[in-house]
Amino acid sequence: MSSEPIERRVSYIGDRLRGSLCGVCGKEYFRARDYCGSCGRKSFGKMKDRDFFYEKGMLEVCTFINEPTNKFTKLGSYIYGIVSFHNGKVRVPGRLTDSILKEDEIDLSSFEDREVVPRFRRRHAVEQSDIIPTISLAFTFADEYYPHQKHEIVKPKKEYKTPGIVGYGAYVPKFRIKEKTIERSVPFIDEDAITTAVEAGKMALIHSGVDPSLVGKVYVGSESNPYAVKPIAAKVAQVLKLGKEEQTDGVQSVDAIDTEFACKAATSMFKDAAALAYYPGAHTPYAMVIGTDNSQAAPRDELGGELDFFVGCGASAFIFGMHDVIAELEGWYSCTSDTPDFWRRDLEPYPRHGGRFTGEPAYFKHVVKAAKGLMERLKLQVNDVNYFVSHQPNLRFPVKAATELGFKEDQYMPGLKVANFGNTYSGASPMGLAAVLDKAKPDERIVIVSYGSGAGSDAYSLITTSQIKEKRRRQKFTVQHQAENEHREYVDYITYRRFKLGF
Amino acid sequence: MGDREFMLHKFPAVIGVGRTKFGEHYEKDHEKLVEESWLKASDAAGIERKDLDAGYFSDYFLQITNKVGIEEGFLSELSELHIPMEKMRSFSSALLNACHAVQSGKYNLVLVGGVEKMTDRWDKIRDDLMLLEDPWSYYAGCTPEANHELMLREYIKKHKISGETLEKFNTALAQIAVKNHQHATKNKYAQFQKEIDVDRVLKARATAHKPLGLFDFAPVSDGAAALILASSEVAQTYTDMPVYVVGSSSATDYITFPSRDERTGFTASRIAMKNALKRAGISIRDIQITELYDQSTLLEMISLEDLGFAKRGNAWLDIYNSCKDYEGFYEINGQKLFVNTNGGLKADGNPLGATGGAQIFEVVKQLRGEASERQVEADGNLWFGCTLELEGFGTKAYTHILRRD
Repeated sequence: MSSEPIERRVSYIGDRLRGSLCGVCGKEYFRARDYCGSCGRKSFGKMKDRDFFYEKGMLEVCTFINEPTNKFTKLGSYIYGIVSFHNGKVRVPGRLTDSILKEDEIDLSSFEDREVVPRFRRRHAVEQSDIIPTISLAFTFADEYYPHQKHEIVKPKKEYKTPGIVGYGAYVPKFRIKEKTIERSVPFIDEDAITTAVEAGKMALIHSGVDPSLVGKVYVGSESNPYAVKPIAAKVAQVLKLGKEEQTDGVQSVDAIDTEFACKAATSMFKDAAALAYYPGAHTPYAMVIGTDNSQAAPRDELGGELDFFVGCGASAFIFGMHDVIAELEGWYSCTSDTPDFWRRDLEPYPRHGGRFTGEPAYFKHVVKAAKGLMERLKLQVNDVNYFVSHQPNLRFPVKAATELGFKEDQYMPGLKVANFGNTYSGASPMGLAAVLDKAKPDERIVIVSYGSGAGSDAYSLITTSQIKEKRRRQKFTVQHQAENEHREYVDYITYRRFKLGF
Repeated sequence: MGDREFMLHKFPAVIGVGRTKFGEHYEKDHEKLVEESWLKASDAAGIERKDLDAGYFSDYFLQITNKVGIEEGFLSELSELHIPMEKMRSFSSALLNACHAVQSGKYNLVLVGGVEKMTDRWDKIRDDLMLLEDPWSYYAGCTPEANHELMLREYIKKHKISGETLEKFNTALAQIAVKNHQHATKNKYAQFQKEIDVDRVLKARATAHKPLGLFDFAPVSDGAAALILASSEVAQTYTDMPVYVVGSSSATDYITFPSRDERTGFTASRIAMKNALKRAGISIRDIQITELYDQSTLLEMISLEDLGFAKRGNAWLDIYNSCKDYEGFYEINGQKLFVNTNGGLKADGNPLGATGGAQIFEVVKQLRGEASERQVEADGNLWFGCTLELEGFGTKAYTHILRRD
């Protein structure tokens, strides 16, 4: 797709699978329309918006494609077919994604008549300089890695005095690479930091039950945005319909912004999101913060290739607000210094780093300082903290920092996920936070300390509320589910590099 | 036939046909191909260029493959004529519009031509075809072959074909390709003039792990075809053997295949044929020879059902039984039906804008008894033949019923 207006229109419809429902006869359509073909003029003004983004479909028939059109060549081979929604009221074309097919065992009937979930993905390959086309006509089976979950808007019951986390979600791709003690997440070839951000945001909306139209601001922190200029947050806002939708103009009344500060791009905005929700004049009942990265690393035999042993892919999203809070934001402390321990120059594909100096003068100095600063400010002792989460670029650093601060294994292990997913950069410490929120009981204190190279740390203290337990049943796609799911699939190093590079 | 003969006077007639060989024409551009087919048709009809009142042309996507803008201008320059010319997407569409114009009394002598030059863009052509055929399916990863395979899956599910029956079904589809290749050996214009066997067709599917394989699909081709259409009065002055276009019709369907209600056949084909028969005032059983749009073997089979030759869910069995000991025709409901005697799209070739021209070419030759080696032996006189041409994956269907004088 070289035309930018065509791309705008196709992705506007396709990302969300927008359609219509005839208010007269109940006929449904994929792609919005102003009147029903059966009812004609009398249906004018009676067509209702319908979209299939949170629906589950059925793969009715399919075929095996091993000679795709040029735009899909990088997928190799895949299953393509017809997906129906609402018992056949609507049928759309779709391909199965997240699947590596073994060509000698293709039995089409084993794929047919199974429930599928639409997935937001890159549509097909384009030139390096082109707009990245996206679509949700990609599907995965509902009984595998990614379950179907309903999106229900829940009316809030309680307003809190302190702002905090209202809901959250984490997303890690199904593929993994396992080397020695560490297992790392690998994106499928049609995934990137944009698609994982949308997935995490979707999970946070499902978990929180928040009306997306009340989300007034969305921050997306990333250091692997496939665009040098063009925000991920705009895509997230449109696909997740954040803020009030102004249909006539096709715009969302939401402020969307990308942030960048290596791996602390997202955590930095927690306080901003909370403050915005707290300030009545902002008219922003909820604000969403997403940390997303398809973490970049040069191949092993190149300069900076050491990172290639640790990088993962994933995102986590947090919705901040004053209503039905599951974890109140007790306080924060941030510190910053101009320490050039890790960087990526413009137009360079991979980051470089300062080798041994990424440890003591960088990671440890800032993480420990921020943690101590927070605890001093809030007058906290180590024993007052139930869970300690820190940035996790590898297994050694966070354990060493926690130990230095006096935390014990039962405090820092629940939030240590790097051995499952690898370093998800901006999503790394938030992923640990999500893992802890999945487990924490009411009235427990969580301290999270991020680290962003360049350098700085944000430390937060959160205190869980009774609502953390109630909301838990809304989320099937937990961090643990993703870490231990039997459908996760291992790839070799060559495949991992190819997938990471993407379309 | 008395009444009908009287009626023939209101129908336009084909008085000459011409075509090029289909295949790869590396050295020839589209103009050269048009010229060749055009000259052959004019020669066959015995007309002079200057006698022409108008021209109706077709190419599906020459604008994309060859970056040709206003085709009519090229043709005007080629012919040094300034007559009205129009361009459609398919030959059958050009013929339909030419028929309307002649029948309205506006023109007496019209050139109908079609051309395509697909091999010039062989490396990008499947993307082009798919995007034009069905953009949303393309975005979802569809290929030009995939919709055929989905229709096949729908068909075997709907008719509960499995186990041994499915094997027979698959063999029947393979036999279609074998049969068409066999026909093409007698067609000097055909792209593939060599025989294949069922094993080869089945093996290609097995190697690709697909329901349909390399030998199930029509190739990418270059080629052109042309005919001269005349009003019945004018036709008599040129030939003793005019072939009348007694029923022409077309119908449309949704561009997105998955969103269609009917996915085990083409609604457009069914409607177009019904209307064409009505116009011709005959029944489907009057038709003895047909050129179907076998973009895949499946589509030849499906079209037998869509047009009403075979019962729904039964065409493959008719084919299977006819091909056990193939004698040059299908036997359906106790009647001989000659199908794709030129080799069909599969073996004759499928240069989109010219394909319909090759179909008409074949039926005209057969009806006039000029098909030499390929001449069919009908029971009794061969009166009626028909063609079916599709645009996209059944998005448009055109049917023409031809009758000899």
